Amino acid sequence: MSLFGAISVSASGMEAQRTRAELITENLANADTTRTPEGGPYRRKDAVFTTAPVAFSFTDVLSDASGGSQGVSVSDITVDDSDPERRYMPGHPDADPDGYVAFPRIDPAEEMVDLMSASRGYQANVAAISAVKDMIARSIDLFR
Amino acid sequence: MRLDQTGLQLGNFMSYLSQRQEVIASNIANADTPGYLTRDVEMPVDFSAAIEDARTLVVDTPDLPRHNDGNNVSIDREARLLAENTMKFNVAAQFVRTEIKNLRSAIEEGRAS
Repeated sequence: MSLFGAISVSASGMEAQRTRAELITENLANADTTRTPEGGPYRRKDAVFTTAPVAFSFTDVLSDASGGSQGVSVSDITVDDSDPERRYMPGHPDADPDGYVAFPRIDPAEEMVDLMSASRGYQANVAAISAVKDMIARSIDLFR
Repeated sequence: MRLDQTGLQLGNFMSYLSQRQEVIASNIANADTPGYLTRDVEMPVDFSAAIEDARTLVVDTPDLPRHNDGNNVSIDREARLLAENTMKFNVAAQFVRTEIKNLRSAIEEGRAS
């Protein structure tokens, strides 16, 4: 039943965009974090999206049939390994002998743009689900 | 006009639309996936024959402009198709309802509406 499959596909899109939005908010919250359990400043994280077959029913799993459509999943979370930004703050407890502190290389403007993109992507998936819901409701109306 | 024939064609048309809706949902879900190419479902030539395997009708749409990440999903195109598809489905469903109503009217010898 491909209409229900469409809902699963959109749900996978919502999940992926939500994960991305969570990582972006994490980046924004930690834009000035100089200490992490791994040592050093916080490093920017980003989600990597890959197409993934969405199995709607047990038969789909067995026959590996995805109805020609693919969902999306977060296959990897990348951690930015570029050099941290060095700011001259001699009074800071994490300053090196020269008085420089390593700060995460996070551009709030870039994060905000990504956040808007993630939120719009989420909304597009929600719109797709409501369109499919409408179609299913019309099909059910045929029984009346 | 035979009800079963019209009903069958409308049914096949509705299956085609649901299949297409799933592919559109997939395009929207993958709007940010690098390298993903927009897919579409080819319209069958004849709706009077049942669609054997809907997956064979799924085609790539390579002529849309690609973004820097190799993805060519146009969210505006998908939004348009989503709305268009839902409306077509509603029209088909309305036709089926009318067919059923006519049949019921014949069964009840035109007494009830």
